[in-house]
Amino acid sequence: MAVEAQIPYQEAMELHDPHSWITKYWFSQDHKVIAIQYGITAIGVGLVALVLSGMMRLQLGFPDQFDFIDPEAYYQFITMHGMIMVIYLLTALLLGGFGNLLVPLMCGARDMVFPYVNMISYHVYFLSVIILLASYFVPGGPTGAGWTLYPPQAILTGTPGVDWGILLMLGSLAVFIVAFTMGGLNYVTTILQARTRGMTLMRMPLSVWGIFMATVLGLLAFPALFVSAIMMILDKTIGTSFFMPAVVSIGDSLDYSGGSPLLFQHLFWFFGHPEVYIVALPAFGIVSDLISTHARKNIFGYRMMVWAIVAIGVLSFVVWAHHMYVSGMHPWFGFFFATTTLIIAVPTAIKVYNWTLTLWRANIHLTVPMLFAIAFVITFVMGGITGLFLGNVIVDVPLSDTYFVVAHFHMVMGVSPILVIFGAIYHWYPKMTGKMLNDTLGHIHFWVTFLGTYIIYYPMHYLGFVGVPRRYFANGEMAIIDESVIMLNQTITIAALIVGVFQIVFIWNLIYSYFKGRDAGPNPWKATSLEWQTPETPPRHGNWAEKLPTVYRWAYDYSVPGMKDDFIPQTEPRTAEETAAGRTE
Amino acid sequence: MADTGQQHPISVYFWIWALLFVFSAASYMVDYLAFQGYTRWTLIIIFMMLKAGFIVAIFMHMRWERVALITAIMVPPGALLVLVGLMAMESDYTWLTRVVYLGADPAPVPLPPPSH
Amino acid sequence: MAEATGLRNLQLVNDWADDVAVFRAVPWGKAMMWIFLLSDTFIFTCFLTSYMTVRMTTAEPWPNPSEVFALEAFGVPVPLLLIAIMTFILITSSGTMAMAVNMGYRRKRVPAALLMLVTAVFGAMFVGMQMFEWTKLIVDEGVRPWGNPMGAAQFGASFFMITGFHGLHVSAGVVYLIIVAVRVWRGRYEEKGYDIIEITGLYWHFVDLVWVFIFAFFYLW
Ligand code: HEM
Ligand SMILES: [Cu+2]
Repeated sequence: MAVEAQIPYQEAMELHDPHSWITKYWFSQDHKVIAIQYGITAIGVGLVALVLSGMMRLQLGFPDQFDFIDPEAYYQFITMHGMIMVIYLLTALLLGGFGNLLVPLMCGARDMVFPYVNMISYHVYFLSVIILLASYFVPGGPTGAGWTLYPPQAILTGTPGVDWGILLMLGSLAVFIVAFTMGGLNYVTTILQARTRGMTLMRMPLSVWGIFMATVLGLLAFPALFVSAIMMILDKTIGTSFFMPAVVSIGDSLDYSGGSPLLFQHLFWFFGHPEVYIVALPAFGIVSDLISTHARKNIFGYRMMVWAIVAIGVLSFVVWAHHMYVSGMHPWFGFFFATTTLIIAVPTAIKVYNWTLTLWRANIHLTVPMLFAIAFVITFVMGGITGLFLGNVIVDVPLSDTYFVVAHFHMVMGVSPILVIFGAIYHWYPKMTGKMLNDTLGHIHFWVTFLGTYIIYYPMHYLGFVGVPRRYFANGEMAIIDESVIMLNQTITIAALIVGVFQIVFIWNLIYSYFKGRDAGPNPWKATSLEWQTPETPPRHGNWAEKLPTVYRWAYDYSVPGMKDDFIPQTEPRTAEETAAGRTE
Repeated sequence: MADTGQQHPISVYFWIWALLFVFSAASYMVDYLAFQGYTRWTLIIIFMMLKAGFIVAIFMHMRWERVALITAIMVPPGALLVLVGLMAMESDYTWLTRVVYLGADPAPVPLPPPSH
Repeated sequence: MAEATGLRNLQLVNDWADDVAVFRAVPWGKAMMWIFLLSDTFIFTCFLTSYMTVRMTTAEPWPNPSEVFALEAFGVPVPLLLIAIMTFILITSSGTMAMAVNMGYRRKRVPAALLMLVTAVFGAMFVGMQMFEWTKLIVDEGVRPWGNPMGAAQFGASFFMITGFHGLHVSAGVVYLIIVAVRVWRGRYEEKGYDIIEITGLYWHFVDLVWVFIFAFFYLW
């Protein structure tokens, strides 16, 4: 089968058109509907996690003022907040949501290669969310082990939710991984095997590249979490000792013996560091497209950007133990992992330079998506630089487990991807609904979120420097807790509550604009990539007309000199002048 | 996309089948003849790799695939080699600390199974 | 596309630089199965690495597999006898599977389906023997996931977990084989072609492949 010979097959792909409400909105096999399902569910649990963080802030800002927050509840908030944000919100939304939405549209495919599996993927994800949330309704409540779930403490008395919560958490993660695998296999196979004519890998929009690499990372990194979840479940339920050394707990020596807690940490971070990039890479990709489109300029150094994504993906498998500098691991590892960690900063920095150079002397349109994109670049630089500090063993040792680390990872993997997600929703909402989101509401949402973020996270660096520890319910009478710490904690709490509440503006905008928004037309941003060239808006099931589109150029032909329009869609054949001028790519 | 797949003479499969038998028997003999130390490990690993190699190359048809597929599948497990290597170092170190600081016996002998 | 520089002459580079598909002539299902197996490789390797770690870190003695898994034959204990038989069965099933693939591509659907069913029978035999092995271990040798009379508790834990997970893969494979075999038999793939048998085969050979590693690392170490 020659490559070209696959196209008729793709064009004639069997699509199961919906026959009833339930096959249209619930058991739909259309990647766009599945994307929205993933999106709504993820944002739903994300709001739960947001509320939880608000409660933590209440305790930190105004200790002991709120009776319903006792130490147990606080640890449960922390754990559920962290896990939901990283896995059930960011991973699910970026890959399940945007992966599903963008991959077939941007590659010029009718749908994912196996729509049925794709549909199941969402429902299994939904199940994992239910299991996770169920832990609030079992005796003892959810686990309070922290999102890293380190044994032995995670399964020993003294940690909240040690009976049911931890099992539901581990079970839910395992189910999530099954869901992710079903979706992920689809995204990867679609990108590799089902692009349209002319769509080479080096013409793919960077969004697809980011999603592709992140999915590959997920498929290879989640197994480590899956395996550790299974082993911890066994340790907890039938008393194996994989992770459990001989322990004396509250005066009793337990039946465990000889296991290795460090093994868990290694497995967890063998998953955990790539996970960081599972969240970051789709954001990198999407933001590149936002910047290029709204700055009306081709992305600077496209090839470099692609190779940087690939390099980051590869390197992210050899840096994991930089999260374990104070764990008592093999003393030689610090050197190895600090070195690899600093090397991975190189391709990351290249990406930042290229975003900046794309903006350089560009025709910048300060639309809402663009504001979010610029905010991302700034925030990511902030977080990335503190990462360099933490990557060095000697610097990390005193900073480890302080608020400095909290500031670092919120900047880099918390706020940054969230900013991109907001930008992306403002950018693609018109395609999905045919309506523009309201601009004024968008600006209010942006400025409150962006400035608020800095009031929240910037002071945390300082708190970390003076030594405020991470994951403490109350700081008590420690000498370091002086007036400045107390005041900053109050400020942060107030800012966090305001930012949290203001997200209602965003949700309201989504609902309001769906009914009352301005008509968007097929291509409101005058963008080049394929999803804006669909025959209908919103695209119908199957995306394209009888024939799949043909691609003649990359996705970044903005402001090409000598052309009439300031953008040339990827479907536009090359003109004679272009060929004469030797422009081939 | 009808019948574009892997088509090879049946005799190839019989050959590999026989070879896998031979290698399995050989690795079994390593245990039966109670080789120890480096000889044991070298032999076990060699036979294991041979068996794995033939299964992947012939039965799974990797040998006849294009380089693009071969590399896509064979390169990523390299990450696992890093994991295995570093975990081996780490385990040695943990074991050492247990012997040095917790006074564990460096060469313990297992008891025989109860049914013998 | 790009100028025909030196790199473009390499098949590898050329394939990756192509439009539509990277893996030429590879159907979607087959590509997806390969990628799934890659992911599954990571799962099994993580299991085996964990086993290696607990085995290397424990300061308790590790029970000697060749004694523990010995079986009486004609009055003498033969080390690893059952495991050797299981290995041969699994290899044989891989052989019948490979021939099923071959028959499928020759469009001999009945022999193909029959060979798949034979493969499934071998798989079921393997699982059956594994159940026998587990029973013997639990009842006669007193091995439990949380401890055993010979030495390190991790022996039983790793053994039951790893062979259990592999056994689940074999069982799932048996079900998968039967489903596909019945569909092949009924002629469901006459039009679409018989890639499906090759895809099922990939999974089955992978299960065999994993066993090769378990055999070497668990029983022979
Ligand atoms: C320049 C690149 C980066 C470097 C050098 C770096 C380095 C580090 C180091 C050394 C730690 C451990 C701190 C400690 O526990 O003492 C850490 C923590 C963390 N980093 Fe990064 N990082 C980088 C980029 C990122 C990115 C892009 C993300 C997410 C998108 C991220 C998310 C996190 C998270 C979530 C933690 C907290 C882990 C925990 O619970 O302990 N980092 N980072
Ligand atoms: Cu990391």
